[in-house]
Order: sequence, then C-alpha cells, then structure tokens
Amino acid sequence: MAPVTLHNIQKHFGAVSVIQDLSVDIADGEFVVLVGPSGCGKSTLLRMVAGLEEVSGGQIRIGAREVSDLPARDRDIAMVFQNYALYPHMTVEENMGFALKLKKANPADTAQRVKKAAEILGLEKLLDRYPRQLSGGQRQRVAMGRAIVRNPQVFLFDEPLSNLDAKLRVVMRGEIKAMHQRIGTTTIYVTHDQIEAMTMADKIVVLHDGNIEQVGAPLDLYDRPANLFVAGFIGSPSMNFLEGKVEEGVFRTDKGLILPLPANATPEEFAGRPLVYGIRPEHIRVGDQGIQGRAAIVEGTGSEIFAKLDCGSEQISCLFRERIDIRFGDTVGISIDPKQVHLFDKASGRRL
Amino acid sequence: MASVSIEAAADKRGVKGSKPARLAPNYWPFVVPALIVIGAVIVFPWVFTLWMSVHSWTLGQEQTFAGLDNYIRLATDFRFWESLWHTLIFTVLAVVVPLFLGTLAALIFDAQFPLRGFLRGVFVMPMMATPVAIALVWTMMFHPQLGVLNYLLSLVGIGPQEWIYNRYSVIPSLVIVETWQWTPLIMLIVLGGLAAVPREPYESAEIDGANAWQKFRYLTLPMIAPFLMIGVIIRSIDAIKSFDIIYAMTQGGPGTASETINIYLYNTAFSYYDIGYGSAMAVIFFVIIIALSFVLMMVRARTNWSDVVDR
Amino acid sequence: MTRRLMKRKTLDRIGLLFVALVMVSPVVLFFIWMISLSLKYEIENGAYPPILIPENFAWTNYVQVFKENNFFLYFWNSVLVTGAATLLALIIGVPAGYGIARLKAERAAIVIMIARMTPGLSFLIPLFLLFQWMNLLGTLWPQIIIHLVVTVPIVVWIMIGYFETTPMELEEAASIDGATPWQVFRLVALPIAKPGIVVAFILALIFSWNNFVFGIVLASRTTRTLPVAVYNMLSFEQVSWGPLAAAALIVTLPVLVLTLFAQKQIVAGLTAGAVKGG
Repeated sequence: MAPVTLHNIQKHFGAVSVIQDLSVDIADGEFVVLVGPSGCGKSTLLRMVAGLEEVSGGQIRIGAREVSDLPARDRDIAMVFQNYALYPHMTVEENMGFALKLKKANPADTAQRVKKAAEILGLEKLLDRYPRQLSGGQRQRVAMGRAIVRNPQVFLFDEPLSNLDAKLRVVMRGEIKAMHQRIGTTTIYVTHDQIEAMTMADKIVVLHDGNIEQVGAPLDLYDRPANLFVAGFIGSPSMNFLEGKVEEGVFRTDKGLILPLPANATPEEFAGRPLVYGIRPEHIRVGDQGIQGRAAIVEGTGSEIFAKLDCGSEQISCLFRERIDIRFGDTVGISIDPKQVHLFDKASGRRL
Repeated sequence: MASVSIEAAADKRGVKGSKPARLAPNYWPFVVPALIVIGAVIVFPWVFTLWMSVHSWTLGQEQTFAGLDNYIRLATDFRFWESLWHTLIFTVLAVVVPLFLGTLAALIFDAQFPLRGFLRGVFVMPMMATPVAIALVWTMMFHPQLGVLNYLLSLVGIGPQEWIYNRYSVIPSLVIVETWQWTPLIMLIVLGGLAAVPREPYESAEIDGANAWQKFRYLTLPMIAPFLMIGVIIRSIDAIKSFDIIYAMTQGGPGTASETINIYLYNTAFSYYDIGYGSAMAVIFFVIIIALSFVLMMVRARTNWSDVVDR
Repeated sequence: MTRRLMKRKTLDRIGLLFVALVMVSPVVLFFIWMISLSLKYEIENGAYPPILIPENFAWTNYVQVFKENNFFLYFWNSVLVTGAATLLALIIGVPAGYGIARLKAERAAIVIMIARMTPGLSFLIPLFLLFQWMNLLGTLWPQIIIHLVVTVPIVVWIMIGYFETTPMELEEAASIDGATPWQVFRLVALPIAKPGIVVAFILALIFSWNNFVFGIVLASRTTRTLPVAVYNMLSFEQVSWGPLAAAALIVTLPVLVLTLFAQKQIVAGLTAGAVKGG
C-alpha cells in the first residue's frame, strides 16, 4: 500500500492535447474515483499510472518511488480491465497465480494465496474452470482475484462494471467496495457513471476535457459543486439550469420566470450580472410559491415521481418523493427550497 | 533503428522535459530475424535483378554494363510481345471463367442440403493438389488418340479435338485445367461474402414480391461485389504468373503458341542462360504485376483487407 | 399446408444436392480417372474406348515408381525441404507477424504483400547465381533457402492478420502482472494464437510441398523433390502412363489427405486474402 501522487501530468498524442497539467494527491488506502464523460482523459490518466501509456510531462509517484519512466511490470500495481482481460488459455487458478509465477514465487505459497483470494470472492469451486466457462459476474470476480493475489501497492480499475447488466452492477459495486474496506489497498477507479462514483468513492475527481473540474468527497460535490459542469454531472436526474439575472431581490430568468434567491444571498452583489440559477429536481416540492407549471412529462416509478413542468417558457424537472396525483396536462404549483439553490456566474460557470 | 525514429518523432512533438521514457515494449527484436531473412531472400534478389537487367550477361561469359539495351531489346522483341498477348488472353479467360463458376458454386454451397460439408471439402481439393501432378494427368486426358476427353466428346457426338497439341486450342485447354484447379478459391471467397449477408433484406424483398433472379440481381450481387472484386484481384495475380501447369503440359508449345511471359522468362534465363535479358524481363513482369494489383486495389478502395480477414 | 411446404423443402434440397453433385463431378471424375490410370497395365491404358475399372490391378506400377525412379530418395528430399522451410518460416515468421502487428508497421506489411505477389521465377535468377557462387548447388540448402521465399511471407502475412485481432488488453494485463515483452509473447500472445499458427503451418507446408519451379532449376539428380521427379518421369517415359499416374498420385496424396482433414484451417487461411505462393 502506498500513496499516489500525480504532479503536473500532461499528455498529448501528436498535436492533440488530452491532459493538461493535472495534479492529484491520493492518500494511502484511499478509494479515488476518476469520473467524467467519455473522452475526458480519465482512462488515459489511469493507463499512465499503470505504465501502459507514457506521460508527456510531469511525474507519477507511487509511495516514495518516481515511476513515470518505469515499465508497467516494475510498478507493483494491479489492474482490472473493462473486458476483464482474463487469459483465455489459463484456468481461473492459473489466471490468478500468473503474476506470482512470473515472480518465480514458491508454488505452494502461490496456491495458498490464490486459495485465500478465491475464498474472499467465492470462487473456490471455479478454480479449475476456464474463463469461457464463466458468467460475466464470475469473470469480474476472477479479474479482481487476480488483482488481490498480487497484493500490490495500488489497485487500478478501468470501468470494470460497464459490461455487466444493471442488477449485477449494483451487486459488484458493493463487492468491490467491501473488498476495499477489507484489504485497504489504495485504489484508483475510473468510470463514466456518476452513481458508481458517488457510492464507492472516498474522493471523487471530476475530469472534463483533460482538466480537473473538482476534487472532493461525494457529498461535497453534491452539495457544493464548484461549477456548472460538476453541478450538471453529479446527481440524477440532472440539476435544472435557468439563465437570468438578479433583479429587485428575486431571480428573473431570461424568459421571465421569477424564482426565489438562495437563503444567504445578498442581492446587491450579483445585480445585473448574467447568472445561471441551479436547483436539483429533488429539491422542488409541491407547494404554493406562486410558481405554476403544466406537466409535460410524468413518469412514476412507485417510489418517486419524475415530472417535467412547463412554467411559462421555461421547463423545470422535478422529482417528487411523495405519492401525488399528477397527470399529463395538469397544472401544478411548486415551491423551491431556497437553501438548496445554487447561483453560477454565466461567463465563468463558477458557483457563487 | 526504429526506436531512434520513435524518439525523434517524440522530440519533434516538443515533449516537455523530454525524458527518455520508453514504456512501450520494444517489438523490433521480434521482427529483426525475419527482416534479415526477407532482406536476403526477397529484397536482395529484387535489387540484384535490377542490377543485372542493365548488364549484358550470358552465363559463363563476362558481364558488361549495357545501360537500357536489354529493355530496348525487349521493346522490339516480337516473341516478348507475343508472350504478353498470350499472358493477357490466358489471364482474362482464367479469371472470368472461374469467377463465373465459382460464384455459382458459392451460391449453391451457401444453401442447405445433405452432404454439403463433405461435398464442399471435395470441391476444394483441386486447389491444394500438386499442380505438376495434376498437369500430368490432364496431359494424358488431353491425348488426341488415347485421351479420355475425346472419348467423352465422342459420346455426345463431337469430333476429336487436339487440345494442347493445337496452337489454337492450347490456351483454352490450359484454361480448362486452371479453371478446374482454381474455381474453388473463388467459391471460398464468395462463400465468405455470402455468410456476411444479412437475412432481413431478403425477407422484406420477399414481401415486396421479388423473384429469385431479382433477389440475386438487386440484393446478393451488390452485397457480394467487394468479395467478387477480391476474387478478381487474387485470381488475376495468380493467373498472370501461372507457371507450373503451362510448363509441365506444353512448355510454351506447340511452337510458342502458349508461351506466356513467365515461360519466356524461364527459357531466356535457364535455357539460353541470357541472365541480363532475363532479368530485364523479370523487372518488367514485376512492374506489370505490381501495377495490376495497384489498379485493382484502387478500384476496390471502398473496402479494405481486414474486412475479409475478420470473417 | 405444412406438409406441402415440407415436401417442397425436401424437393428443394434434393434438387440442390443434385446440382452440387454436378458441380463436384469434374473433381471426382478427375481423381477417379487418375486412380484408374495408375492401376492399369499399358495395354488397358492404351485401349479405345478407355477402360475405367481394370481387369487386373497393376499394383506393380507403384512398385516400379519406387524401384526404378529413386522415389524414396525424392520423397525424403521433399520431406526435408518442406519440413525445414516450414519450420524455419514458423520460427522466424510468427514473432515477425507479432512484431509487425504490434508496431503497426505498414511498410513491412506491404513488403510482405508484394513478396507474395512477385512471381517465384524472378527470385530464381539472382538466388541461383548466389548459390552457384557459394558452391551450394548439389545440396538441399538452395532449395530450403529459396522455399523460404514462399513460406516466410505466408506465415508472416497470416500471423499479422491473426495478431491484429487478438485483444491488446490481455498483453497489457500480462505486462502489469510483471511479464517482460518476451514473456508476454511466449506466455500470452503465442498460446492464444495457436489456431492461427496451425493455419500458417498448413498453408506453408502445402505451398512448399507443391512447389515445382524452384526445383527444376536448383535440383540436381540427387536433390530432386517429388514434383520435379514426377516431371522428369514425364519427359523420359512418355509412353508408360500407369507408373506416371501412380507417381503423380504419390506426390499429391499427402496434400490431399491434409486438405480433407484440415479443411477448416485451409479455408480460413485462404479466405484471409491469401494469394498462392511461388
């Protein structure tokens, strides 16, 4: 186990810059999730930590060692790939023991460690099988087992759950997290799924176009998004964004809708500046605050109701946790919790 | 040598702090032995041939620099032009006929019927058979007096033919052998194409009331067209350099009636030992083949090789 | 209704079978006639109308081929030349295919491709001279070396195609597991590529075995391979068809047997854009 430091990392492919001057500190034993839309550079970053991709500039440190110039085999890391990358010509046992065999470890010791890892993951009965004889979830476990057996300094996960169906994904999410809590190895986990990030991470790094948008604990990111990108990316359904200005103690959108200001806002501060008003769908309640909307879309799942309301010419998404009776075309009165409102500077996108 | 160029490329990109980071595995050691062998048995002969082609050199005599004399001699050599003409006729026939029959065979073997796998295996056998051995048996079958083919013709009332012993029928006779041997290759290529054809368009065409011919003409043919093109390319290159069958059966005869470039080249270099002249011919032959492949590649630029390889 | 449909389908299938039999008949008849020729005495081979099934089987034709024509030696020569050229090609060509695929070395691939299209004859003049200078003529080495012209490009070409389709992730996983590039190749890439190697092996074997043009120039009386030996019988024994057909059958039989057993691999290799060698 070791801390990982990324210092001023850059990456370009030819003239195309993929990552610009990026620094992250990962503490010993921390579970860090790199999250962002596809093409944000998260996988490239992970592959650079793994040693599968060269850094164009900057340093990567694992523990006290500077590893930027070390090939993957000397970095003492383990990686779980999106497609599992199990060796098709080896049994589960051979797959899991392969790294130790390469190190010329004592076979009895290897067998012992493989057995222990198999127990942790419930793979004892599958040790003689070949990967093609396993289900998706079992392959996923073998890939993790292969990582555990190594007892490496760092675990790397590259979108490991994206090939599983929705139900299994939730189960494996829990298993990976449980494994981390049990073994405590520093982990870097890449995903495009913000729910995976929120549920698993000690610390989330939100990436966008090769830059860090925000680093923080999951709930910090939810409560205090640094900018419009993070606010829109974290949370599902996405936050409502309404463009407008502060006028006479209220927020007036460009299309004329009037909304309450945040609880602690001092109106004078922002007066006249173009702003973006952010409110999460789950922070809107049925109520009478003078805002009325006609239901354009209503989707109930039983536990909650998602609705899109046409309020004047603005459309606002709402997520109601209580069972209320709305149908398409109904007019609904809503109230917004001022404590949950975010204001963003339109020009910079930064939260105010 | 290559790792140097990779580094140089990295430098050109203006890598900040240019470190000697070379994490990508070095794959050149895997390639070097083959490069040496290919250099020795493939590239060296190419270069050496080029060198010889500008020299006047008959084996056993001194070689002297001849400039383009050999090439000028080629341009005025009636026998060379004649061999080009023979090559052209032979190639066109040996491409078109197998293409037609091979496509037909593929359409049949694409369907379901008893013994399909076994019959396909039998059909493929000529392609792998040793050409010289095959040629020998065909020679016996073509025999004007004792050959079985003339007997078979007589059964349907056709008079005896002279086959490879007549200057007018020798090339078509050789094409028969070439067709017999290489139709399976076209069949396999087209069969690969048919396997990739989706089902749905046929179902909707059925609903639209298309008959069998229309389905072939408007659905199958356009969809397998790239594969037919590959078939044409491969067959053309194979046919143009066909040697074994022609040499074993006629050695270019009767007279020079079936002498293709390849045969003339062989005779020049290894019967008359005119090495310089033979080399010039080899160079021209090489250029023709490369040009032909290049033209055909351009024609089918729409699809690439890997489309076929993956299937 | 369903019964009529089923009947129709059965009829279709029988019709197709019939058409397929017609298509295959030139192949079958040819080989049957080849066997027939090889088992008849001269009198029957010269008979008109031709005789298909001989009255007495002329097994002596086969005995004669081996006894009078040194066929054991030529068979052994063929085995040595083809065996050595194929094994060398695998040893050199499989790693090369791997390297070229991983390096994405387009230019190397194009050289291989052009080598496959070049007529074998054009390699023969320069290499013939080279072997003469090196005083190798009269041994099997010239033929082994020149057969590499056929076998190396086939192996490399097929292996490039194969390694391009094997997932890179596996090799990355292995390097993370601590494997050196050589270990990645030997322990991961190579075992996975086994089917491709089999295809390359079989095709190289067949094309080398069948090769004729190199032998007629490079082989001496004692270093002939089978195709050359058969051809020489033709020129010296034009009249006796029986032994000639028997010899032809002996030459091509190993290849035909291999074709029947390894049909799948051959089809895979040939449809991978393979141009026949030589």
